[in-house]
Formats: sequence, C-alpha cells, structure tokens
Amino acid sequence: MHRVREGRGVKATIVGAGGLGGPLAFALGAAGLELVIVDPDVVETSNLHRQIQFGPADLGGAKAPLLAAAVTKRGGTARGYQTRWTTDDADDISGDSDLVVDGSDDPDTKFAVADWAVANGVPYVVAAALRFGGNVMVGAPGAGCYRCLFEEPVPAATCATAGVLGPIVGAIGGVAAALAIGLARGDRSNAGSIYVFDDLRASPDPRVVRFHRRASCPACARTKEVS
Amino acid sequence: MATIRIPGALRSLTAGADEVTVTATTVRGALAELERLHPGVAAKVLNGDAVKPFVKIFVGADDIGGLSNLDTPIQDRDEIAIVPAIAGG
Repeated sequence: MHRVREGRGVKATIVGAGGLGGPLAFALGAAGLELVIVDPDVVETSNLHRQIQFGPADLGGAKAPLLAAAVTKRGGTARGYQTRWTTDDADDISGDSDLVVDGSDDPDTKFAVADWAVANGVPYVVAAALRFGGNVMVGAPGAGCYRCLFEEPVPAATCATAGVLGPIVGAIGGVAAALAIGLARGDRSNAGSIYVFDDLRASPDPRVVRFHRRASCPACARTKEVS
Repeated sequence: MATIRIPGALRSLTAGADEVTVTATTVRGALAELERLHPGVAAKVLNGDAVKPFVKIFVGADDIGGLSNLDTPIQDRDEIAIVPAIAGG
C-alpha cells in the first residue's frame, strides 16, 4: 500500500497529548511531519476511554513522552515534553515549527498558542471537543485569528468538567489533522474558518463559518499585516 | 425569512430543532423571536443586553461584534449562526 507522506520535511508542534493529541500525533506522524508534543499531564484511568493511544500499563506515565514514543514506534519522528506550553518557553519549544496544532483542554493555552502563532506568522489549527461535538479553527497570517473570534479566554466547559463521548475526539482530531496537513502543504484556503460539529451522533457534516479579522483584535494588531 | 442555526448544546431547548426560521429584521429581534418560540434560549446566549463573551453570533460570515452587534440588520435568507467557545481536548 502506498504511504502518503505529504508532510515530509515539515516540523509541527502538537499542544496536548490527550484525546485530540493522540489522533493528531498518529496522523501527522504517519504523514511524515516531524513532531514536538507538549503536555504537562500524566495518564489517568479516566482518560482511557477516549485517549486510546494509552493503555492500563501507561497509568501514571507522562503523556507527551509516551505519545511521542508511540509515534516513533510507528515509524514517525516525535519528541515529547512533559510541560505546559506557555509563551514563556514557546520560542524554545516551537521556534523551529512550521505549524502549531492545539488540542489542549485549556482555554488559556488555546489563546496562548494562537497568539504566539499570529505573532510569529506561523499557521495553526485550534481544535476542541466536548460532549458530542467540537470545533476546529484554522489560522494563518493575514486571516482572522482565534482571538478575532472568541476575544479572550473564559471558563468554557472542558472534557474534565462536562465529559466527551470517546469517539468524538477521534473524529475531531482527524479533521484537525487533515486541515493541518493542508497547511503543511501550503494550502491557506481554510484560514479564517471554523468547522463546527454540533452533534456527531446525528450528523458528521460540519457547519463552516468563515470570519473576518476583527479591527480591534490585539493579537492581529501586533502583526505586520495589519494596516 | 432568516434562519438561526442552533448549536447542539442548545437543542434541548428547541425540541431538537437544528434551525429555526424567523421574520425579524435585526439579530436582536431574531433572538427575541427565538425566545418566544423556545423559552430559555436567550438566557444561554445573552447576558442582559449583550452577547455572552464565550458565544459568537455570525450573520453569514460576519461576527456581529464587528457590525452593529445585536442591532445588526438581517435580510431574507440570511443565516444566523450561534457558535459557543469550547475548550475540551
């Protein structure tokens, strides 16, 4: 079987090694991207129903190195760091990444990833899954950004507080990976779009909302593209 | 008539409907009409006279925050999308 490796030579950071990070890492690793995986957490029993990259033997282990090892075992290239991705050390961790994909479970981290990507002119994907659906937002220089869209972090519901159906993260993670590969190939046609999956039990079809840059967006104001 | 797309999280309040058609001419009117048809939705979307910060409302591709907010006019066949922020992963 021919193996499509459209991401060969592309470096990517995956923020989060959990429910979304797992399918993202396997898909992008198999596509040939060189990955850095970042997550501060360890594997817990409550993770196993949706984070199927881990098994009972992994309980208590650091997610990011374990996921990186699993990617490597499948022929990919990945390094894992057990730390929270923050702007303090983003340049060290992601400075040589060609794109960044967020699959974290934390509103502050999603904004930090998007802001850093915008400031550094790096294309990015922000994915989220909750209960029975999720969102995938695609960003690239010059397009509306995550902060254009949601403005500032709020205590939004997370998997830890509201739960998520196991297969949902696989589906959302797969879409996020496909869109990330599009970015890796140089396709910016989805930038400034958010794919909204309301309830994947009822329909796999997303509603795609394209949005414009917000004139008062502070993240965009820090980029050279803003006039 | 315009169409309001109902996100999954709010469909328990709309008897499962994923879209509701309205005759209003502004977003404010559309949400009021939605509230009359399906009581309880407005409280999930609005905080007083403003859209909650973790909810975005689009008319077509345009965030109403960049237009006239709740006074943004709507036309026949416009689609109004309610998109809540979520953070699960």
